[in-house]
Amino acid sequence: MNDALILRSRNERLALTIPVRGVIAACGLLILVLLIAMISLMSGSYPLSPAEVWQTLMGRPPEPTAATVVWQFRFPRLLTSVLVGALLALSGALLQNVTLNPLADPALVGVSQGASLAVVAIIVAFPQADGPLRPLYAFGGALVVAALIQWIAMKRAGGATMRFILTGIGIAAFISAMTSALLTYGQVNQAMSALGWLSGSIHAAGWGEVRSLSVLSLLMIPALIWAVGPMRALRFGADMATGLGVAVRPARIVLITLAVALAAIAVAAVGPLGFVGLIAPHLARRLVQTGLGLHLVLTGLVGAAMVSGADLIGRAMFAPLQIPAGIVTALVGVPIFVVILLRSQARSQL
Amino acid sequence: MTLRLTMLGPIMVIGSILVLFLWHIAVGAKSIPILTVAESLWHFDRTEFDHVVIRNLRLPRAIFAVTVGASLAVAGSLMQGVTRNPLAEPGLLGLLAGASFAVVAAVGFFGLATPGWIPVVAAAGALGGAVLVWTIAARVPGGATPLSLILSGAAVTAFLGALITLMQLMDEQTFESLRVWLTGTLAGRRMEVFVWCLPWFIGGLIIAIAVARQVTALAMGEETAIGLGVDIARLKIIVLICVVVLTAASVAVAGPLGFVGLVIPHVVRLLVGSDYRLIVPYSAGIGAAYLLVVDIAARLVLAPAEISTGIVTALLGAPFFVWLVRTRL
Repeated sequence: MNDALILRSRNERLALTIPVRGVIAACGLLILVLLIAMISLMSGSYPLSPAEVWQTLMGRPPEPTAATVVWQFRFPRLLTSVLVGALLALSGALLQNVTLNPLADPALVGVSQGASLAVVAIIVAFPQADGPLRPLYAFGGALVVAALIQWIAMKRAGGATMRFILTGIGIAAFISAMTSALLTYGQVNQAMSALGWLSGSIHAAGWGEVRSLSVLSLLMIPALIWAVGPMRALRFGADMATGLGVAVRPARIVLITLAVALAAIAVAAVGPLGFVGLIAPHLARRLVQTGLGLHLVLTGLVGAAMVSGADLIGRAMFAPLQIPAGIVTALVGVPIFVVILLRSQARSQL
Repeated sequence: MTLRLTMLGPIMVIGSILVLFLWHIAVGAKSIPILTVAESLWHFDRTEFDHVVIRNLRLPRAIFAVTVGASLAVAGSLMQGVTRNPLAEPGLLGLLAGASFAVVAAVGFFGLATPGWIPVVAAAGALGGAVLVWTIAARVPGGATPLSLILSGAAVTAFLGALITLMQLMDEQTFESLRVWLTGTLAGRRMEVFVWCLPWFIGGLIIAIAVARQVTALAMGEETAIGLGVDIARLKIIVLICVVVLTAASVAVAGPLGFVGLVIPHVVRLLVGSDYRLIVPYSAGIGAAYLLVVDIAARLVLAPAEISTGIVTALLGAPFFVWLVRTRL
């Protein structure tokens, strides 16, 4: 799994700098994710006991139905939610660190919407082109939006951080309207399949999603490990980073591209899920103050726990009704967003 | 200059509204010649199919566009004047979301069917949304700046949007009719809701014109306004009520139409300067014309398919918002 692999490679690299509390926090989060995983596998319209789940996972299902339910429905869905959560959280952490903006989030500044628009356009206009290439389209759309925001916000010197967010909100509204227009125009059945995907639901996730998600996430890990160095320097501001020998502009562009790619992979699989990328880095930081490398690991774990937990709540709370995970993350995320807003220091935004 | 403007301006605005009004009625799934449109308005003939279509479907829609456009533009101009915030607008500051949420909850969840209560519910929701957004923004370090207001507006809108989706999921049949309304549309709205909203529109616009002089003073700064003898606290409350009334009636008729209140006042200020005695009536006139144009575009661009009016206002308004952020902040 994505998180576990990152943890191991981090350990080799940063073995000396990892504080004990950080490692304990990481282990605690890992246990939390596993706990959510266990409950997710157990609960549903066909309830299973922990022992039965264990037997099924070990290849000795008590009944054939249990094997189908766990392996075909619950397990891929769980893995998808964990991976998507980690990807979105990391994307948010990267954006926040690079733009020095505590409120940056792929969904708030329009990156997720750009990815959605590209995917919906493909589904509606060329349904036969949809499929394994979907992450690529999402990446293209998200990248265009990110470039647009950067271009508009960075035009004038000073105060760029604040303009970045406001520009993003404006562009997000514009792109959502374009997506809605496409949905009106498209053939109804194609529009419906796009509509289901747009509400940020993990409902339909199967092994196909898990496969593409995990392959792409694995590809992102070396890039993330590389990213820690320049990010650590950029956190002190552009001048300090230049002094530390980082080429600021190229580093920034590469890091934002990386953040966009992470968000696009997640959006391509389950549609836009808001507020995870915004909140996970803050929660991780509140949990324990660590160096940047371990902070990223913790952020990924928090994100994984958030989305898998949101998906579990969404389908268990009002069963048999399925609430898309995107709704749950928004309902939980907005109040936390407001708290972050209230505690933010005036200077960091204005 | 002023004299020419006072003579020529109103004539031009009213003239363009009339032309657009007739054009708006002529456009549609079956385009009707403008002459027939005019004829049906002055010499209504019950046996003519086109006349019946115009009277029952197209004329109400055009009237909705005029009133809603005027109300939202006036609401936006008052908000921008009183808060001295170039980005103030009913949609961005959570009023539209609050009103839609209240209407969806009342109609879909508690089975409210009386059209007379819909604007009341919408007003309660709009007031709640506005107060919530303002309270959050005022507590952010640095106070209620444009940025903190927009951010808390976005947060409240996202939260209420998620709640609306949740209610929709729990009872899909009841909400089918509300789904289109929620994207902001002038199509297929019922006349009886509009009739109940009409006093709200008229009352709101009268209040707006009545306070315009004081708003001009307040827009110059609080000290100036106090020096000119304006009771600021009282004025702010009156304006808040006026904005809530206008927004609520608009939402009850057409659903949430974003960015209309943002775009029009800025355009009007470019044309007539900073006197709200002129800005308010011109906003009403140009807002009405704007929504007529937008609604014509919504039906023409993808014909024979029709886009929701709210989508078009967002497509036009969002780039304008980005432009404002770049130039005014």
